[in-house]
Amino acid sequence: MFGKGLITGMRVTLKHFFGKKATFCYPEEKLPMPERFRGGHLKLDYKKCIACQLCSMACPNGAIELKVVTDAQRKRHLTSYIHHMGRCMYCDLCIENCALHSLHWDQNYEISAYHREAFDYEVLTDSDREYLKQVMEAAAANPAPPIVPKKPVPPKPAEAAKPEKEGEKAEEKTETEGKPNE
Amino acid sequence: MAGTETYTLNMGPQHPSTHGVLRVQLELDGENIISATPIMGYLHRGVEKMLENRTYVQGVPYTDRLDYVSSMNNNFGYCRAVEELAGIEVPERAEYIRVIVAELNRIASHLVFIGSLAIDLGASTGMLYTFRDREEILDLFNLVCGARMTFHYIRIGGVNRDVQPEFIEKTYKFLEHVPEFMEEYKKILLGNEIFMSRLKGISKLSQETALSHNMTGPNIRATGIPYDIRKVDGYSVYPKFDFNVVTGKNGDNWDRFNVRYNEIFESAKIVKQALDGLPEGPFMAKVPKVLRPPKGEVFSRTEGTRGELGFYIVSDGSTKPYRVHIRRPSFVNMQGLNDMCKGYLIGDSVAAFSAIDPLMGEVDC
Repeated sequence: MFGKGLITGMRVTLKHFFGKKATFCYPEEKLPMPERFRGGHLKLDYKKCIACQLCSMACPNGAIELKVVTDAQRKRHLTSYIHHMGRCMYCDLCIENCALHSLHWDQNYEISAYHREAFDYEVLTDSDREYLKQVMEAAAANPAPPIVPKKPVPPKPAEAAKPEKEGEKAEEKTETEGKPNE
Repeated sequence: MAGTETYTLNMGPQHPSTHGVLRVQLELDGENIISATPIMGYLHRGVEKMLENRTYVQGVPYTDRLDYVSSMNNNFGYCRAVEELAGIEVPERAEYIRVIVAELNRIASHLVFIGSLAIDLGASTGMLYTFRDREEILDLFNLVCGARMTFHYIRIGGVNRDVQPEFIEKTYKFLEHVPEFMEEYKKILLGNEIFMSRLKGISKLSQETALSHNMTGPNIRATGIPYDIRKVDGYSVYPKFDFNVVTGKNGDNWDRFNVRYNEIFESAKIVKQALDGLPEGPFMAKVPKVLRPPKGEVFSRTEGTRGELGFYIVSDGSTKPYRVHIRRPSFVNMQGLNDMCKGYLIGDSVAAFSAIDPLMGEVDC
């Protein structure tokens, strides 16, 4: 009989009309995100970070912009960690490449914004900057001894023509900019 | 009698039934289609070139963005190609996990197909049911890899992280659920007379035409050719599992729908067997941090959701591939559109388009 299939289909629809709801009211109710969820802002454990810049190098899109400073004890610190979220693919490679596991996602998924500038997210917080200031001052008070230039190696006969390298000097507070990948 | 004149109608690039940005130039005589020319390139991002500018490991997330409805299968194809090139042996547990997630993704993708076909034919309720059940699979993926669409889970040498016991438990629960919701679709769509009359006998393709267009996947199986690379090549651990290749008879839209409908059961069967036989062991092979495959070239193919997905990679011994070419099944299947539309009505072009199941991210690459 023509129309039998239609009626069977309508019966299913009717059953669901009075059945349990499959949806929920989003802004009022929120789903918890699983532990492995990738998304939202980056979270940096600043005290663990050694500013090795591996996260920035692992990024396929160059979405992480770092500024690194060297203190008087020749240790590197981050002065700025900008996560360009507009370029980010949330592929997780930065976090997996972090040697000290100091980088994480926060579990927030509501990242839409009205302005483009909001997507250049500064990961460092004020307390991180405060900590950096303390570390820098402590290092300046107790600077590492300058690197003694190595004695020039007696040149081999074949390389005698080449000019000798000068010994490196201890550089203080040199600001280098993390190059974007590629 | 007055003579009629043909005219051209542009369907798209913005059209609700073109699944993205595709323009189909229809040559019409009244309501009859004389020819349909797909015009592609509106979503071209240059993925192949991007892969050549990044290291092998960095390239994996870009393959997610080709066929974004079944990203796992793309990851699988690319990683297999690189592994073959670099000679990396993948542990067995990783292979099993890969098969599980790839087949789950195939189910999810076919559910999207059923839903989008229903909505293209005007049955918007049908789409809601399939998307409800696809949600369960997406939640499973969210649990295991932390993303719902662009997974980046299958990596070169294995998988990103091991599956949790919770994932296995929930997958079993989902598999029990499969016959239940498939029965519901049967009641809503398969028995529906309007749905049947819109699909049966429409857009017929003979085996020769489908072969001459080099169609693969469910589109060629609908014409009756049992061509499935999971059986033909037997890559990964697929030979260990017992499953059938679903074929159609007539090569019309109804068969294309039915092949995909029944493939969901076969995929569920594979997932069940893989979960039962999941071996212990490492989930990732030892891959050097800086991957430098030896000089050479490789073409590796896998059965993607939409057909034969091939990756051709040339290595010059450096950290970046010298050339990457992707054989995208959607792009090749699209070539059959003209033959599928010729001689039918305008309304059938939407059904034909939907039955090929192309994805613009993959067509334009």
